[in-house]
Amino acid sequence: MSALIDSLAIEARLPADDHVEVRRRAHKMLLKHGFPDIKTEAWKYTSLRVLEKRAFSDHLPGSNVLPELPFAATVLHFDNGLLNANDLNLPDGVTLEPQSGAQLDAVDHGDRAGAFGWLNLARFEQAWQLRIEGQLEQPLVLVISTAEDFHGDVHPRLAIELAAGAKAQIIEVHGDCGEGLVNIVQDIVLEQSANLHHLISRQSAQSAWIQRSHVKVAGDADYRFHTLDRGGRLTRHDLAVHLTASGAHAEIDGTVLVNDRQHVDFHTAIDHEVGHTNSRESFRILADGSGVGVFNGRIHIQRGADDSHSDLNTANLLLSEAARINAKPELEIYAEEVTASHGATIGQLEDQALFYLRSRGIPADQASALLKQGFAAAPFENIESGPVRDWLLGVLNNVI
Amino acid sequence: MNQTVEQVNQVIQQRYKAGFYTDIESDRVRAGLDEEIVAMISAKKNEPAWLLEWRLKAFHHWQTMREPNWAHLKVPAIDFQKIHYYAAPKQKNRPKSLDEVDPKLLETFDKLGVPLHERARLAGVAVDAVFDSVSVGTTFQKELKEAGVIFCSFSEAVQEHPELVREYLGSVVPFTDNYFAALNSAVFSDGSFVYIPAGTRCPMELSTYFRINARDTGQFERTLIIAEPGSEVSYLEGCTAPMRDENQLHAAVVELVARKKAKIKYSTVQNWYPGDENGKGGIYNFVTKRGDCREDDARISWTQVETGSAITWKYPSCILRGDRSAGEFYSVALTHNHQQADTGTKMIHLGKDTTSKIISKGISAGKSNNSYRGLVRIAKRAANARNYTQCDSLLIGKTCGAHTFPYIESANPTAKVEHEATTSRIGEDQLFYCRARGLDEEDAVAMIVDGFCKEVFKELPMEFAVEAKALLEISLEGAVG
Repeated sequence: MSALIDSLAIEARLPADDHVEVRRRAHKMLLKHGFPDIKTEAWKYTSLRVLEKRAFSDHLPGSNVLPELPFAATVLHFDNGLLNANDLNLPDGVTLEPQSGAQLDAVDHGDRAGAFGWLNLARFEQAWQLRIEGQLEQPLVLVISTAEDFHGDVHPRLAIELAAGAKAQIIEVHGDCGEGLVNIVQDIVLEQSANLHHLISRQSAQSAWIQRSHVKVAGDADYRFHTLDRGGRLTRHDLAVHLTASGAHAEIDGTVLVNDRQHVDFHTAIDHEVGHTNSRESFRILADGSGVGVFNGRIHIQRGADDSHSDLNTANLLLSEAARINAKPELEIYAEEVTASHGATIGQLEDQALFYLRSRGIPADQASALLKQGFAAAPFENIESGPVRDWLLGVLNNVI
Repeated sequence: MNQTVEQVNQVIQQRYKAGFYTDIESDRVRAGLDEEIVAMISAKKNEPAWLLEWRLKAFHHWQTMREPNWAHLKVPAIDFQKIHYYAAPKQKNRPKSLDEVDPKLLETFDKLGVPLHERARLAGVAVDAVFDSVSVGTTFQKELKEAGVIFCSFSEAVQEHPELVREYLGSVVPFTDNYFAALNSAVFSDGSFVYIPAGTRCPMELSTYFRINARDTGQFERTLIIAEPGSEVSYLEGCTAPMRDENQLHAAVVELVARKKAKIKYSTVQNWYPGDENGKGGIYNFVTKRGDCREDDARISWTQVETGSAITWKYPSCILRGDRSAGEFYSVALTHNHQQADTGTKMIHLGKDTTSKIISKGISAGKSNNSYRGLVRIAKRAANARNYTQCDSLLIGKTCGAHTFPYIESANPTAKVEHEATTSRIGEDQLFYCRARGLDEEDAVAMIVDGFCKEVFKELPMEFAVEAKALLEISLEGAVG
């Protein structure tokens, strides 16, 4: 594993800013714990071999064009992972500034399982703090893209804060054409009664795309997450949601599509720290070609968090001989007056449904595409904003 | 509220009825583990050279391994050099029949309700009784022999049927499998051996009763069951130990081999001493149990009721190698006070049209933690494999934990896997309903728990089902109110 540390040349080419000490500490922690291997429980199904074999270069890649969106939005473009903060036209109530040293000093990414968090902290060039007050009318779109000649590593770091009572929609559009490493760390805080709809649409090519999102939800606040992941050579997303006060609510919905030589690993964890908190999760994987889909969904209800309710459901379709799906829904319950349940299935398209469509004159490939579309679209039906839902379903239908 | 201290003490003591100690002279090797001890155990059993060699290989492999730490358990450090790896009640010569067995031993098993003597005839169950490290007697040998069934202690099998032991030993659980299986392979002392010839249905239930008695010893038994094509057997296992302040280690290995169209049903009521209400003492139970449906249409069914042990680490598994073979796992695991359990199963689907079913019921009370951990793996060539898993957890009290960790891996597009799990507590409305009909709270809880576990209990042979129900009630005493 030290080969990966060497090839990333962790101490090379970093800005001489106020965060030298922060990076040094993170570097030490990374060396102490090392990168995870398949013996690390949380990385059991995802090997880093692809990354280990890769040579990273400092070459500056070309810039990317922004994708077109069918709805009005405020766009922040992280071109090859770096945000050009000049000429930003932010709406009222939104501020963007660099994170303070004190904030970064307090960061803890734990042990080996959090190695990429430490790597981010050891290598980041920019760390932004986005604060939202009041209710935003337009969605805020974060575009993170890489160019074809991207062979390096970038480590975007972003803290998002929603003030009490604030309401926002944040849409992330991740597009990759390169062959490097994109390693994102997000800290999201929802203060009292805040409301955030967080959506990620991602398609990665040869780059390893690794993301850690850490969300804290205060009393009566509401966090809704949607993701459509269209696969990548190696994608791993860790999403941890902490319900920290009474009335906090979280919902996670996602669909992952994997095909030849793709590997997507989604780890979610919902932590009910106190009572009177609710969560719901629904996750689907469609694995075709030689794709591998991994889903690990954890529900943790802490001692004393009575009257918490949680439900998790994962349904998966295995569509080819060479594809694989590994699912691990987990419950860890320490409180008594709770209801917690999960369900998991792995199967294939129903013969009967296919037959029904074909008997009505629909060719076999169209019939199966229709069924797949219907299956994959289900987690997005509860998106409130019509234009955003239509856009996402359009993206989905283009792939299938 | 008007209970006296004595009454309370009576209830507490009643909770673990098997906690007495039998004062019997025993022959014990020195504490510690090295090549010499392994050789000494082998020599005491007068084993052939190949077996000693196998034990030593296992020992050397064990030395290279680390204790597993992935389970949801807090395991205090175990000093493997402080354990006595062999203890046996002193007997001048091995008794030829049960009449020659030390009456003190028979009395012990009698107290535990294990039918070794005339009661055995009434019960119609053949019993192999294992006391510390050795088997002290096996009943119904003659009747079984007539049917062609071999049911004897493991040591006897090594002497009488070395070819069978050599062929099958380690073929399901190799010594390289895991830390505790390697340890067991190096130092195993005794256990049961069952061989059912082709086309034979075993004429009676077979049963082994394990008893740890001596202080500071570990128990490492090994059970091997071979069911030849078309045969059928039902096997029961029970276990107890004295109440002691220190912890004792139990690391067993059970291997089942089911050949074409053979059926094996393996039931366990595990009631090792769980420790006292402050978490002091109790057995550390690290067990590897695995069945191999080696040929087509074989069937293996595990049923377990786990109420004892301070720590349980146990995953009875099925390897579904033959086409159309089937595996089943029914489990009730109850933890109370400071007990910890991490238990479940593995269903490895390799053959075509294989099916498996998992029903797991976990009950946690007191300050205990109870985890279900199960793996369902569908291999690439396991076309049309089918699995159904249901695991439910029940919480009694605010200081316990109930956890579920299922691993589902599928690599075949024609396979279907379903898993569902729920966690809840006994509802106020259920309790109120029962109490309104005149049941006191403890009886009401026992009744609800009994209903919760019904799906598993109905899989147990009748004598065991009655015992399991009584055991749950006793184990739950003091869990409410």
